[in-house]
Amino acid sequence: MLRPMDLIAALEGVVGSDRVRAHPLDRRVFAKDAGVKDGPVAAVVFPESAEETAGCVRVARAAGVPVVPRGAGTGLAGGAVPIEPSVMVVMTRMNRIVEVDEQSRTAWVGPGVINLDLSRDLASTGLHFAPDPSSQQSCTIGGNVGTNAGGPHCLAEGTTVAHILAVEMVTADGDIVIVGGDHPDPVGLDLRAVVVGSEGTMGVTTRVLVKLTENPPAVRTLLIGFATVEDAAATVSEVIASGLVPAALEMMDRAMVRAVENYVHAGYPTDAAAVLLAEVAGHAVGVDAEADMIARIAADNDATMVRLAQNDAERALLWKGRKSAFGAIAQSAPDYYLHDTVVPRTRLVEVLSQIYEIGERYGIALLNVFHAGDGNLHPLVSFDAAVPGELDRVMAAATEMVRVSIEAGGSLSGEHGIGMEKRDLMGLVFGPDDLDAQARLREAFDPDGVLNPGKILPEGSRCFDRAPTIGAAP
Amino acid sequence: MLRPGADHRGGSVTTLDAATRRLLERLRPESVPPEVGDVPVVAPRRVEEAAEVLAFAGDRGLVVGFVGGGTQLDLGGRIEPDVWVSTAALNRIVDHQVEDLTLVVQAGVPVADVEALLADHAQSAILPETPGAATVGGVVAAGVSGYRRLRYGPTRDRVLEVVLATGYGKVVRAGGRVVKNVTGYDLSRLAVGSMGALGLIGEVCLKLWPIPRGAATVAVDDPEGALAETYRPLAVLETEDGSAVYLTGTPEQVAAQTEELGGVGEPGHRWPDPIDSPMRFSVRVTPRHLAGAVRMIRAAFPEAPLRAQHGVGEVTFGVEACDLERVVAVRHWAEGHGGAMVILAASAGSLPGMDPWGAPPAAHGLQVRVKEAFDPHRICNPGKLPGGL
Ligand SMILES: Cc1cc2nc3c(=O)[nH]c(=O)nc-3n(C[C@H](O)[C@H](O)[C@H](O)COP(=O)(O)OP(=O)(O)OC[C@H]3O[C@@H](n4cnc5c(N)ncnc54)[C@H](O)[C@@H]3O)c2cc1C
Ligand SMILES: Cc1cc2nc3c(=O)[nH]c(=O)nc-3n(C[C@H](O)[C@H](O)[C@H](O)COP(=O)(O)OP(=O)(O)OC[C@H]3O[C@@H](n4cnc5c(N)ncnc54)[C@H](O)[C@@H]3O)c2cc1C
Repeated sequence: MLRPMDLIAALEGVVGSDRVRAHPLDRRVFAKDAGVKDGPVAAVVFPESAEETAGCVRVARAAGVPVVPRGAGTGLAGGAVPIEPSVMVVMTRMNRIVEVDEQSRTAWVGPGVINLDLSRDLASTGLHFAPDPSSQQSCTIGGNVGTNAGGPHCLAEGTTVAHILAVEMVTADGDIVIVGGDHPDPVGLDLRAVVVGSEGTMGVTTRVLVKLTENPPAVRTLLIGFATVEDAAATVSEVIASGLVPAALEMMDRAMVRAVENYVHAGYPTDAAAVLLAEVAGHAVGVDAEADMIARIAADNDATMVRLAQNDAERALLWKGRKSAFGAIAQSAPDYYLHDTVVPRTRLVEVLSQIYEIGERYGIALLNVFHAGDGNLHPLVSFDAAVPGELDRVMAAATEMVRVSIEAGGSLSGEHGIGMEKRDLMGLVFGPDDLDAQARLREAFDPDGVLNPGKILPEGSRCFDRAPTIGAAP
Repeated sequence: MLRPGADHRGGSVTTLDAATRRLLERLRPESVPPEVGDVPVVAPRRVEEAAEVLAFAGDRGLVVGFVGGGTQLDLGGRIEPDVWVSTAALNRIVDHQVEDLTLVVQAGVPVADVEALLADHAQSAILPETPGAATVGGVVAAGVSGYRRLRYGPTRDRVLEVVLATGYGKVVRAGGRVVKNVTGYDLSRLAVGSMGALGLIGEVCLKLWPIPRGAATVAVDDPEGALAETYRPLAVLETEDGSAVYLTGTPEQVAAQTEELGGVGEPGHRWPDPIDSPMRFSVRVTPRHLAGAVRMIRAAFPEAPLRAQHGVGEVTFGVEACDLERVVAVRHWAEGHGGAMVILAASAGSLPGMDPWGAPPAAHGLQVRVKEAFDPHRICNPGKLPGGL
């Protein structure tokens, strides 16, 4: 066990003194992600290569100090927040697009590449990286891999895991390994599939082979207003049931629309109870018919207005409104808590009304903006954590909202992850045997609890005896 | 009498202890697939029963082989099970949420039945197009995707939930019945392609796709060119008889895309027949090398039937008689281009010294540990996966 000063010296030995920070101010900055909690930081390092990353993991391991991988820290589940004093391995310096293969439509990128930068850099190739979280201006590809991030356009394209072919990572032992590969169905167990979404608990990602998606030749974007939330939700369910696969289908309620309009003036109808942002993309000949079909379904559900974006500028403005939603809230409330549950798309109407009811009962300010097409709800609560008892009340309401989602056949998290935020709610969806299996899997990657310990699985998940190892006498 | 830990490979019913015999009797299937020979077979009716069998086998050190439709039992390393666990009685379609586009099925349901049911609703689980007797569980366990992968991605992307009877004899559920989910570790995707190494896949929830009304197949001369010019075709396939682009979308869009290709469109999708040669191989490379792989295979085996998926990077081909040297040369080429050549079928002993999978995966140590975590007694299809796992 190293003493704190020795730990820092040893890390400096790996990356040099200018890329290790332990000043109280640095510790504060890196103690938090975009969620509501913070934790204790032992040191912050900024590796610039896989080898340096491996060196940092080995040093921390030898010192008996956990490693918490971190990207941009935009995570909302506390995934990058340490629970015990930890070495924060911040990957933002590894931000090079290493190699683009236009013909195979793939690219090797550093984990610190910003999501939007990747698509911008690729603009001339006619390709883009499909997952587009609303935080895409600041979150990293490594973080997207960590959380299996989603975004509006994941409705048609699938979430991050569908766009990751291989991951180079540093294991808990400090080895550099690659899981997955550049060809279809690499042989052996598909470890890449579990590394994606493992929230920094299975390895520190040092390079990612991403799949790139062809830009659609034609896009139509519709803004649709409704007099009730129910009409909007029913429209979503019917569009999905109709056999159409929109590129995106997003919903906002009145409170959210007003906050956004105030902030970016995107031209949203502030008198509507709910607004849908629907997009269809594809071959030029198909998109108009599809846009018409959505408009027709909306009209059948008593839409009060339908506007088709007339050009790219208008389309960009409509999306700016959607993607600025959280910024708009940040402007008006000191703190916000963002939920992230999923429900079957046929149950949207009823679950939404239950969620409003819970909000009312707890007397909290509730706004809704979410990936409706996936059934991925994001009720957002704005509050002031400085008021004693406020956070507890917000969290109590949060738990109820999670419960109603799960009771409707839904799930605990659609895209933000479990982290520390929802760890203790895992028992609502999984039984002891299920959690034990997940704990076994984690143990296979990290038997000594070096990587981001205390996340995802509640304490005591490994409820059965440790399995004997292969070759050991039964 | 069987003793724990002893080697009982190949044990026949008569040498089994009374408890084993009772279990076999209780879970005896209605019919026994011919592929399994004279090894005893059980057919659990519920995933819990499968877990019971595995717990029992684990205690006694009995090697268990899993069998679905029995179409692909030779894939991977050879196993010599003491008992086969068949999914023949796990044959229920559990839940079809038509409007939410999800389907829950037990593992033993034939792919053909699932797709027939879904076709009535203009939906598909995008399972292999010419499945024969293959089961959903077998396809998921083998990690097999159909030809429509170019447009819809691999099978892995559609497995939302899995119920597994693990090698340590427990029933484990992972994932959920919603289309988007990051609740805990993604065991569902890990199960895809696991070849039974983690345990028996008992039930899965699949994400469905609506099937657009328009469909056409357009013959083309230059598949790579057509791939580059066509927006999101369903598939671009090359066979020994020529190449074709498979289109899908609104009827108007399909008509427009057919015209852009300058070809004559046949309505609908006529998928190539499965290759029925006794020896079959799958070459997998990054899509950029696909055309090169086709050239290489054609040069080595001019007569071979082949199915090349442009844009995906897989070519399967069949060979009538063994030619070890040329097969080795194709594998060498594939691995030299960063890919792999997997032996899908070969008569016993025809390819001496050749591993069915080729070069083992890079992170072998992790592969071993994950296998151990789910199959600590090493009883589930042992040796199927690369590296003897
Ligand atoms: C305004 C706003 C809007 C958002 N919108 C969306 C949205 O639409 N969809 C969505 O999915 N999310 C959204 N998020 C959440 C967040 O942006 C995503 O979870 C994102 O993927 C996190 O990326 P990051 O680089 O900030 O990672 P961090 O927050 O730094 O880390 C996230 C997790 O990944 C791990 N991690 C990060 N980098 C690595 C690495 N190199 N190796 C191993 N593990 C690593 C961390 O340990 C942690 O567990 C939003 C957040 C905000 C603040
Ligand atoms: C690369 C490749 C491409 C193929 N392409 C096509 C194609 O285009 N069209 C086509 O029709 N077929 C194709 N096949 C074959 C087809 O997909 C297989 O028939 C199918 O995967 C096996 O189904 P089955 O029910 O017959 O399984 P089986 O042959 O019974 O079993 C297959 C393997 O999975 C294990 N297994 C089976 N069920 C389970 C379960 N429930 N839990 C755990 N393990 C289980 C078995 O032990 C065995 O190792 C392809 C196969 C491969 C490998």
